[in-house]
Amino acid sequence: MLHKKILFFTIAGFLLILAGCGKNPDPAATTGIVKISLKNMVNGVPLTLAGPAYTNPFGETYTVNKFKYYISNITVNFSGMAYSEKESYHLVDQADAASQSISFAAKTGTYSNIIFTLGVDSMRNVSGAQTGALDPLKDMFWTWNSGYIMAKMEATSPLSTQPNNKVEYHIGGFSGANNVLKTISLNMPAGKLLDVREGKISELKIEADLNKWWLLPNDIKIATTPVCTTPGTLAANIAANYSKMFTLTDVVNN
Amino acid sequence: MLIVFVTAAVFLQEACRKKDSGLVQQPYNPTFLKLELPAGWPAPSFNIFATNPLTEEGFQLGRKLFYDGRLSKDGNFPCASCHQQFAAFATYDHDLSHGFNNSFTTRNAPGLFNLAWMKELHWDGGINHIEVQPLAPLTAPNEMAENVDSVLAKLKKDTGYVRMFSAAFEDGTINSQHLLKALAQFMGSIISADSKYDMVKKGLGTFTSSEQAGYTFFKAKCESCHREPLFTDFSYRNTGLPINSFLNDFGRMVITGNRSDSLKFKVPTLRNSSLTYPYTHDGRFYTIGQVLEHYRTGVANGPTTDPLVAGGIPMTNTDKTNLILFLNTLTDNTLVSNPRFAQ
Repeated sequence: MLHKKILFFTIAGFLLILAGCGKNPDPAATTGIVKISLKNMVNGVPLTLAGPAYTNPFGETYTVNKFKYYISNITVNFSGMAYSEKESYHLVDQADAASQSISFAAKTGTYSNIIFTLGVDSMRNVSGAQTGALDPLKDMFWTWNSGYIMAKMEATSPLSTQPNNKVEYHIGGFSGANNVLKTISLNMPAGKLLDVREGKISELKIEADLNKWWLLPNDIKIATTPVCTTPGTLAANIAANYSKMFTLTDVVNN
Repeated sequence: MLIVFVTAAVFLQEACRKKDSGLVQQPYNPTFLKLELPAGWPAPSFNIFATNPLTEEGFQLGRKLFYDGRLSKDGNFPCASCHQQFAAFATYDHDLSHGFNNSFTTRNAPGLFNLAWMKELHWDGGINHIEVQPLAPLTAPNEMAENVDSVLAKLKKDTGYVRMFSAAFEDGTINSQHLLKALAQFMGSIISADSKYDMVKKGLGTFTSSEQAGYTFFKAKCESCHREPLFTDFSYRNTGLPINSFLNDFGRMVITGNRSDSLKFKVPTLRNSSLTYPYTHDGRFYTIGQVLEHYRTGVANGPTTDPLVAGGIPMTNTDKTNLILFLNTLTDNTLVSNPRFAQ
């Protein structure tokens, strides 16, 4: 009798293991793709590196050479329902077109809002060597004061008092008063929802206006502060400005 | 019967895994290690190996990297060039160490041991995890002057490294994360707990009467910062060292941006201090006697000078001699001769 019982449980266990072989643990949950297309702009014109001179709100001209920022922990929401991307870390780099498109699988359904962190959450700043988008080789990690540069703008301007007219903003800091992490929450345009359908790609078009770095709520003038490369008040002030740079311009459901 | 079913199930699961990944993995079968903590020591408040499981293969890879000049731009500056085993992994007899292209570092190289208890690294605590520490010397133009991309390219050409990386990590890619994790496994495994002091604490030895007197003085005047058994409390303090106007090093303030941290540096361990001279963040004192004389008569009182040393620490010449004799009992000859940590 006991022997039969053992045999029964063994076979049952065996079948369970076989059943576990399937790829999707929850066949009821269907997914589609959310594609975020990011476009970096200056005053309504697409940003070009080492290109034309732009003018900031103080009438100061500048030419951009580097523009990079981290987007992490992306969540799409609708009335209490939320879907978060797993291992959600992306480095958007103006010099790399592929980095300006972020795609991830999300549960099918409609969503009215997207939330993400501009920067890298504090946990990952203190958890040792990372890889992928967070690899220190991405030139966004400080080696002398551990932590990620959340956003980076490098430019030149005749107004800069620095060698070779350099303008350099490396914005970082993840704790206390120096924390520059920003949660960005963007709603779908009026009357529209993001509709994720099974096996389809739905696109969110987001623009980032670089000219928001200079103004509101803090005046940042090239003539007086052309450089910020440490965590601190200036970095926090610039981050307060650039937290307003994103606009969700359109949703394209397929 | 049971065995047949279990074996079959395991086999099928394995087949299923291979189908999913699309390729058959190289065998990854490391020997997992457990960091042996010295008896009676506090457990580290955090686990540096929490996301970096310690293995023999990872440790050995880290050891090879630590001694490999290819981590530096011109091949002359492995980690070990400034962290010499015979000096308890500090730089022997150098106030500042030498770096690439005849340059000097700006701080005294600390000994590398008992790092598993040290949450923040560098004299100013700017590094928040042992894994990201090597990025600082590796990329500093006055130290190893390299960049990680270039190091990885060099390592990828060496089939020995290709083999060692795949033995040490499940995804055996030669990348920055694995390089840094392997180094952390080597450095984090170095423990110094075999000095005469440790023998005495275990009841396996006795202090001389002078050493005992020095220990008593130490307990009264030094222990609040240099806390046993690690001989540091890992805090940052201004011990009244006037600023060196060439280096202009304000220590912890550079990291936090707080004026109240001006001229504060991490309390160094006193273990192996007979081997790690010169002393202080800029190596300004060549002997322990000079350090003690500083505490007796040289403390500069500034706004951030630590109250525990402001005004100086009174000590007689006999106290001083006894204290030096006690500090010499913290020398760990096992550490400096242990072949496991050698090249």
